[in-house]
Amino acid sequence: MKRSARFTLVVFAAAVVAMALPDVSIAQQKKLVLWTHWEQNPEFNKWYETKGKEFAKKTGYEVEVVTIPYQGYEAKYLAAFMAKNSAPDIFMGMTHQWCGQYDFCDKMPADLEKIYDQNLPKYMADVGKWKGVRYGIPIEHGNFQQMYINVDMFKKAGLNPDDPPKTFTTDWLADMKKLTIAPNGGEPTQVGFAIRSKGHPVGITDKFLPFAHAWGARMLSPDLDKATGYANSPQMVAALTFFGDLVLKDKVASLAFGNPEDAFGQKRAAVIFRESWFFGWVKKNAPDVNFKVYALPCEKACPGAGALFPWTDLVYKNSPNKQAAWEFMRFISNARDDMEHHQMQGILPVWTANLDSDYVKSRPDYQSTKAMLAQPVPPTYFHPKSNELATAFGEAVVGVLFGKGQPKPLLDEAAAKMDRILKD
Amino acid sequence: MRQWYRIAFPRNYLDRRKRAGFLFVLPALLFFGSVFILPLAQSVMYSFYKIAPGGAREFVGLRLYEKVLTDSTFWAAVGNTLQLLLLSVPTTVVCALAVALGLNRIANLKWRNVWASMYFLPFATSLVAAALIWQWIYEPVYGFLNYALSFFGIPPQKWLQSLAQVRPSIAAVSVWVRIGFDTMIFLAALQSIPEEYYEAARIDGADALQRLRYIILPMLNPQIVMVCILELIFNFKVFDQVYATTQGGPAGASQTIIMLLYDTAFKFFRFGDASVMAVFVFVTLMAVTLLQWRIFRKPVEY
Repeated sequence: MKRSARFTLVVFAAAVVAMALPDVSIAQQKKLVLWTHWEQNPEFNKWYETKGKEFAKKTGYEVEVVTIPYQGYEAKYLAAFMAKNSAPDIFMGMTHQWCGQYDFCDKMPADLEKIYDQNLPKYMADVGKWKGVRYGIPIEHGNFQQMYINVDMFKKAGLNPDDPPKTFTTDWLADMKKLTIAPNGGEPTQVGFAIRSKGHPVGITDKFLPFAHAWGARMLSPDLDKATGYANSPQMVAALTFFGDLVLKDKVASLAFGNPEDAFGQKRAAVIFRESWFFGWVKKNAPDVNFKVYALPCEKACPGAGALFPWTDLVYKNSPNKQAAWEFMRFISNARDDMEHHQMQGILPVWTANLDSDYVKSRPDYQSTKAMLAQPVPPTYFHPKSNELATAFGEAVVGVLFGKGQPKPLLDEAAAKMDRILKD
Repeated sequence: MRQWYRIAFPRNYLDRRKRAGFLFVLPALLFFGSVFILPLAQSVMYSFYKIAPGGAREFVGLRLYEKVLTDSTFWAAVGNTLQLLLLSVPTTVVCALAVALGLNRIANLKWRNVWASMYFLPFATSLVAAALIWQWIYEPVYGFLNYALSFFGIPPQKWLQSLAQVRPSIAAVSVWVRIGFDTMIFLAALQSIPEEYYEAARIDGADALQRLRYIILPMLNPQIVMVCILELIFNFKVFDQVYATTQGGPAGASQTIIMLLYDTAFKFFRFGDASVMAVFVFVTLMAVTLLQWRIFRKPVEY
């Protein structure tokens, strides 16, 4: 063999050996990796790392936060959990999905479970639980839609922003008509209601459900094992007809206005239904919007404090650092940290003790949140296949909005599809 | 078997050459095998199982095939994909050929390269980045396209938010991205056509259109077939543009097979169903490619 070839081979072999040997000279910093897809709340996410520095002084474990874009987050989580070696230690998700449908979650230690059972608001008692067992910590109180109104637009339309509409089909619809501006009867330049029509059908279902619940409808049976007769009930048809008419007949909402949050922030829409985190988003992204927050209007019933996406912080079952992960969860599980964490981003805290704090009382959604919580709790759909079910249902909603068909046949088709999903 | 033994333990110079050749292609073979063959085999296998993430599997035979192939949502996605194909492929091929013909007429090499680079730039862009740029261009209220059209008195269009316009809009993005690559292929082929053929044709009195029809297109036949196959494969598997812009909406109007496959696998965690869709895509593409190759490819001799 030539000298140059021999030399190359020796260098190559040395490199392979060097890479294969464990690096003992540099002590690696221990860390907990936390995945979150709450990309619209960066300060909230950053807090974990800040708190992690304090935690590191006690235990040697720092916390690294990785923000996964919400779009397609399920695929990234799934790939990581199935690969095991690149999975996070702590992750944000829905309990019924990641712990129910798939066994990726570690059960919360009993002492921590007791703390949360004692300190969560009653309506959130089941958030973070699957079949009565607690796995996760709810991260958001107020994860239900409320009505945000643009005060200046209301005044300009001759409406009283301190006297919000209370019923969908009467004063709410009338107000939306007054708030809509369509020059010469053409396309509106300003709409009353910022409707969600873009994106995945799951999100569209989430935004439609308050209307459904207000009409006394529910998406699934109480046992969550049947859709026909519920997803296509006469009440649901009526709710979807009203919802579709907002765009097609009453023209107080428009499909051309894109992202509803942007439409509200840019003062092209006067009203939006969004969760409590939206208050912080408006303050940061549209500080010139003068807004108030009220409870959602009612119809036959009141929508109540319900959500399709009960986000929780969960610990990965196969994490090599799960003991440390639960230690970190214990470290931040107190009323003070709960307040600091949520106040940082302008989100409602979770602990009952904080719900009447000065911070919460000073928020524009304080009264509206209390009003919503006073309403009967609406149906929940914490089913392992909730994504797929909500997608099938959402396809009917979107179909109506885009004029693909009438509510009844589209809902019949959706209900049949949902039943197939449930049976599969 | 004896041949493999001779490759592993060469006896003479020829054996050593064979072994050297084998070793040279081995890395590519391993890569191809691990990245393509293994996942394909796995997909085919998974299509007969009901699988839950975490590993639990249940053999269900052809049940998933029956379920997927009788699902109206699946066939709606197939329909959307075919429509995108019909819009994108002919447009891309014709436009690329036209651009290549135009570039071929530029005598100055420097300027030809400049123009060729400009056409090729979109191909060098990430598909997701391109889709996001086009999403802004297509924005109904603030988008550049509606702004430009307003100068001609055309009212704002909904583009990606219209049931009728979403597929042509996405097809336009695909054409914009791919045209450069196909142009390069055609340009290289055009430059390899001997000048004598054009001369002979001119002497015989052929005009430009006749030269195109009787010389250029036949001589470019292999490249046209190859580009058609490549565009077919690319557009059949369209995902990035849809994922980045419409997510399959509005109302499923832009949901393609691959988008549905992605949702089925990673949103609904139905790996068996998604594997059936993957097998369908593979079989369809293979069949169409072979058909194209057999039917449209013509050897040409002058």
